[in-house]
Amino acid sequence: MLIGMVLALVALGLTIIWGVMDIVNFAHGEFLMIGMYTGLLTAQGLGIDPLFTLPVAAVVGFLLGIICYFGFVKFLLRGPMVAQLLGTFGLMLFLRNLALLIFGSEDRALHHGILVGKSFDIGMGVIVPATKLACAGLSVAAFVAVWLMMHRTKMGKALTATSLNVQGARYMGIPTEKMNALAWGIGGATVTIAGALIVNFWSVNPFIGLLFTMIAFAIVALGGFGSVPGAFFAGLVVGMITELPGFWDFFTYTFEADWMVDIPMTSFKYMWVYVAYFVIMVLRPRGLFGWKQ
Amino acid sequence: MEAIRNALDFSDFPRLDLIVAGSVGIAFIIFPLFPHSSFAMSTMIQFLMFSLYGMGWNTIGGYGGQVDLGKAQYVGIGAYTTAVMLILWDVPFWVSMPIGMCFSVVWSFIIGYPLFRLKGHYFAIATIATSLVLKDIFEVWDFVGAARGLEISPIKYHPPDFLRLIFKEDVYYFYVILGFFFLGVLYMNWFRKSRLGFQLRSIKDNEDVARSLGINVHWAKVKTYAIATAFVSMVGSFHACYIKSIEPEDTMSLDISILIALMAMLGGAGSLWGPIIGAGILIPLKSYLKEWLGAQAGMVGIDLILYALIIMVISAFEPRGVWGIVEKIRRRKRN
Repeated sequence: MLIGMVLALVALGLTIIWGVMDIVNFAHGEFLMIGMYTGLLTAQGLGIDPLFTLPVAAVVGFLLGIICYFGFVKFLLRGPMVAQLLGTFGLMLFLRNLALLIFGSEDRALHHGILVGKSFDIGMGVIVPATKLACAGLSVAAFVAVWLMMHRTKMGKALTATSLNVQGARYMGIPTEKMNALAWGIGGATVTIAGALIVNFWSVNPFIGLLFTMIAFAIVALGGFGSVPGAFFAGLVVGMITELPGFWDFFTYTFEADWMVDIPMTSFKYMWVYVAYFVIMVLRPRGLFGWKQ
Repeated sequence: MEAIRNALDFSDFPRLDLIVAGSVGIAFIIFPLFPHSSFAMSTMIQFLMFSLYGMGWNTIGGYGGQVDLGKAQYVGIGAYTTAVMLILWDVPFWVSMPIGMCFSVVWSFIIGYPLFRLKGHYFAIATIATSLVLKDIFEVWDFVGAARGLEISPIKYHPPDFLRLIFKEDVYYFYVILGFFFLGVLYMNWFRKSRLGFQLRSIKDNEDVARSLGINVHWAKVKTYAIATAFVSMVGSFHACYIKSIEPEDTMSLDISILIALMAMLGGAGSLWGPIIGAGILIPLKSYLKEWLGAQAGMVGIDLILYALIIMVISAFEPRGVWGIVEKIRRRKRN
């Protein structure tokens, strides 16, 4: 549940980019990985608490998104769909191996911070680690901030208009080119913030991106393409799906059901996410909250 | 007979194409006679395998315009069927390969039937999801060796074993896959002139118009997907015998699916020569980059960075591929 809130923030950037430009960003998880490294290195380099590295991560992510758009994605938009898919895949390979070249392949994790090691016992044997709680809270705050920006400011409304109808938005005098760049900037910033939050309780290596890319795809599909509230609820759902093996173990031990022990549920942890994704795609391609077919 | 005549009939290509293609084909046949390193030989076999994968992808992705990024699951099904049958029941390759193809085709119907209700990006990502689900299952399934994979030990057999396709020298593998390659080219030549081929091209151009002309769009797509699948599964079975040690990460990862699609796009999707040209550029490039740069200390990943940059430049600036450039030049000459 708590992890779901962070995952929702991961998917937010993807759903904005998808909604505005109708392009699939395979490099999304790599942005997250860069956010994780940013959070980790700033926290270690400056000796501050990892939770205060979010502004740095946001700036890095925003700039990264803008650079990627003007340097590369702009040219992809002219091509056919297969070129867009493979192009962002190339971007993903590029960022991943750049990180491998710079940071090396070993796992790195954070071990300091005011909240590390503290936890709350909320009864029923459920223990909530303080870092996860703080991260979930902060991601909800970031989510609400982006939602308000999308719906209350002029810039955000222009962005929404572009995602609804590019042609129409251009007639209304909205600079769609700038809006595309802005979508990439916001998308990058939100996902790097999520990365800087995730690094508090997850170790980072250059290969971590693909897992999160696929989870983000699943969340976006569940919630509906381009739907911001949809991304939030779907994030919670997917967060719960990834916790299913925990419930499985819980039931196994509570009812002492021997047949349940033999099924290695933890190995299927992410498979259920893909299965849920597949089923939703087939039954309702628009997603639960989507308006874009 | 009609089909065979159609497959052998290349007369609608310009003479230059045929001369180039013929001389390249002859060069492949006599290639092992010249002195070559074993590295060049394995690159050559890889190239032939991947051009066959690319041909398979080209039916649905190139002619049909449906971007499928889940082909690796069929490589896995083919490879695992052959390996399991050989290890447990000593079934020869020539029997297990068609069985693997049947499995793949059945699986492709099961997932293809619901999947083809989706379009564009949605379809592409759903194929990735199915591929990843299958990979996850194979990674925990003890019967097929879970994440450790399977290993065919060549000691039990007496190479050269033509029935089970166990050889010591790569030359034999080269000629077997070369045979498949020529058959594949002939099949593709027939396919592009067949009824289904024309139906697919009209679906690619405009699906609604195709439907209004009485084409069963959904069924045509599902059928073509099964054809593409059979191709890929066939080479997957060969892969099991050639590499002799298969694991889910090698055979079913997303990288393989992407590489297959990428080659067809680089060469020029929707043309007969496209996947072959794409594989001919990309596979040697990838393995030589790895050979030269991959092992240098302190430079981990530099070969893949270059590779990624090449992908990005191609997809941004020449998405129609090499064959697209050739056709553009020809059109300019004619006018």
